[in-house]
Amino acid sequence: MKRLLPFLFVLTTTETIAVTSLHTDSLLARGQRAYAAGDHQTALAAFDSVAQNMNSAALQLNIGNCWFKLGDVAHAILHYERGLRLSPGDEDLRANLDLANEQVKDRIAEKPSFALGTTWAGLRGGHDPDQWARRSLWACAVFFVLLTAAIAMRQRTVRRMAWVLSSGALLVLVLCIAFATARHSELMDDTQAVIMAPKVDVLGEPRAGSKVLFVLHKGTKVLVLQTADGWCEVELPNGNVGWMPPATIERI
Amino acid sequence: MERIARILLFFALCIGPQLLHGQEISFTATVDRKSIAVGEHVRLTLTLTNGGDRFNSPDLGGLVVVGGPSYGSNMVSTNGRMSVSVSRTWLITGTAPGKYTIGAAKASVGGGTIQTEPIVIEVLKAGSKPSDANASQGQRSDPNLFVTISLSKNKAYVGEQVVATYTLYNRYAALELTKFELPKLSGFWSEEIEVPDNGWSEQVVNGIGYRVAVLKKQLLFPQRSGKLRIEPLELTCIVNRSFFNRGSSVDLRSNALDFTAIALPANAPPDFNGAVGELELSALADRTSVKANEAIEITVRVTGRSNLKLLDAPTLDFPGDFEAYDPKVVDKISVNASGMSGSREFQYTVIPRHDGHFDLGSVAFSYFDTRSNSYRPLRSAPIVIDVAPGDGGPAANVQRPSKSDVVTLGEEVRYIRTGDLGLRPKGHFLFGSFSWLVGMSTPPLAFLLFLGWHRKRLRALGDVEGTRRKRADGVARKRLRDAEQALQQGAHGPFYTALAKALHGYLSDKFNLGVAEVNPNELRQRLAHLQDGTELADTCARLLSTCDMARFAPVEDKPRRELYDEATQLIQRIERSARA
Repeated sequence: MKRLLPFLFVLTTTETIAVTSLHTDSLLARGQRAYAAGDHQTALAAFDSVAQNMNSAALQLNIGNCWFKLGDVAHAILHYERGLRLSPGDEDLRANLDLANEQVKDRIAEKPSFALGTTWAGLRGGHDPDQWARRSLWACAVFFVLLTAAIAMRQRTVRRMAWVLSSGALLVLVLCIAFATARHSELMDDTQAVIMAPKVDVLGEPRAGSKVLFVLHKGTKVLVLQTADGWCEVELPNGNVGWMPPATIERI
Repeated sequence: MERIARILLFFALCIGPQLLHGQEISFTATVDRKSIAVGEHVRLTLTLTNGGDRFNSPDLGGLVVVGGPSYGSNMVSTNGRMSVSVSRTWLITGTAPGKYTIGAAKASVGGGTIQTEPIVIEVLKAGSKPSDANASQGQRSDPNLFVTISLSKNKAYVGEQVVATYTLYNRYAALELTKFELPKLSGFWSEEIEVPDNGWSEQVVNGIGYRVAVLKKQLLFPQRSGKLRIEPLELTCIVNRSFFNRGSSVDLRSNALDFTAIALPANAPPDFNGAVGELELSALADRTSVKANEAIEITVRVTGRSNLKLLDAPTLDFPGDFEAYDPKVVDKISVNASGMSGSREFQYTVIPRHDGHFDLGSVAFSYFDTRSNSYRPLRSAPIVIDVAPGDGGPAANVQRPSKSDVVTLGEEVRYIRTGDLGLRPKGHFLFGSFSWLVGMSTPPLAFLLFLGWHRKRLRALGDVEGTRRKRADGVARKRLRDAEQALQQGAHGPFYTALAKALHGYLSDKFNLGVAEVNPNELRQRLAHLQDGTELADTCARLLSTCDMARFAPVEDKPRRELYDEATQLIQRIERSARA
């Protein structure tokens, strides 16, 4: 019974995928053929229709590439960022995003990030958004198996070993759940956005005609602090804050 | 003829005063016809009768003298009266259609002047082939000497070649060029054409014969699209200079020309190299099978009619193992009246440094073809080179190419993912999902189930031995509590009985002994594997015998409390060393 547990959730997810996979596969193949032939418009349409009910970092990379090839850097950045949120450790996405960011007009000096932040980013990195959730399942299973062994085994040394190991497994389990929680809240976070309009005046107050604080251009990433009365308050990586219409941005 | 006429005139004048007295004087201008086509001739004759021989030429009003004047004189005697007439005849022509008025010619006779009637000549359009428009225009400005610019075509694609010809038309006998200034050609790239000095040639423009010389020919390549203007050519000539005559200086300006450069179509292929014309391409390696470190010459030849001198070397991608030098350019280009044509060769010298089979691909570029007015791709046959290992192996590579840093030539997004994209339903995450909750809660539930089962099984198996061993400590404690109770009550018998029972029971439970087996020897044997086993066994035996003794005889060699503590400590020690 315990051995079957890890496969239980695999079964439930694969079942839902299987329904649409036939259609999806043909769409993906069409998109890849069109991209290889240089017809990025068709490729984008194919990938987009897959993205309507499916998602993955690789799919976001493909869509981002199509936009990039079509010359729309803002959309490319949007999709690269979406992909990176799903898998922060993806090097292709990171490289393409850097390339796309070079074409963004605005250069904003970022606040220096502290060393612990990068370590945390490295630790949580991976190619799979469910990585930590899956690890927590394994840790849970291992912990209880060890606990069982500590009770059931006759040999005293084995029992002792099982006790020590199970306390280790408990620690790992707690850590895994902590990481999985953090990753999940990160995945659910929709406060980041990319500017889609060619040029946006960022105002000092949520009122048309108020003082223009600074001007942002297409492709710049901002943090949405709050939305109120058809205006949203955004923050730049350098800490500047201002108001702009929500229609000019798209959430990552 | 003239002399005779003059002599006759002299006679006439000598005897004239009396003879001519009362004679009629007339001065007339006549033309043989009043309507001509452009280039046809009109004979204009001025006749002065009995008025001497001095009269001015009339103003021709734009008509051009082709021949003449020729002189004539006539003497007529009628009824003994002599009349003398002098005439001059010109051949004149019109260069452009229109109405021309030959003005009045004046002659002074005696004290007064006499003049002819003006004549109107109508010049009609030439019915036959029109003459060169540029020449006609030049002829109108000065019929005797003019210069023209003409183009081989007035409309061409950007980069297409056009021949400009500068021609001098001359009717003077002696002509010297003193200043010659080529027009400014903005928007054109020009190339001189060598013109062989053919001297003068004859040419008739609108009926007038000229001696014509081609001053210069230029090959023009329009560089930008739109209306381009060729400014006039300016010349200064000295005409009629002779030993006796200083001649006169004439400034000439040619016609200006408007030229239309057509932009190339927008759908230029990416490998379009800017060439316009008619081209062919070939690429050849002088040998295709060499040993490493032997030089190969690859010749890329472009032939045809185009601006070959502006042709850049086509890019050849040599493998990294090839040492390639900049190409040597060998031109066999002729520039003549029909344009620029010939061939341009790019000779690449390459040295393969390693053996192998190398496909260099083919040389390819596109140009704009003026025959079909479209872009045309050119592609040479592919070049494949087999390189055999060089003599003496790699060690012989004395001149190894030095290492260099990898240069990033371009940036490109990393390619899309193919194969398994790891797709999952949108917004579906494992964490917090039903599957995850089930997966997380199943192990603890299973563990609880296991615990229950485990206990039940232990009980079911009736593991007396294990249960006894496990409970030995607990039972002993309970009995010791009885003993303590008895101790506090001061009951002698019950205390020793309880203490002995506790010890006895504990030892038999702990080491799985029968009641009779609890004796010093057995204990020593059983406790041997423990730490301080012998000592513990002895202590047990001693305590037991003390209890037994006290139970049956009221002899107490130690206080009860001390005995009780000793028993408690003993059990603790055994537990401790049994656990160790």
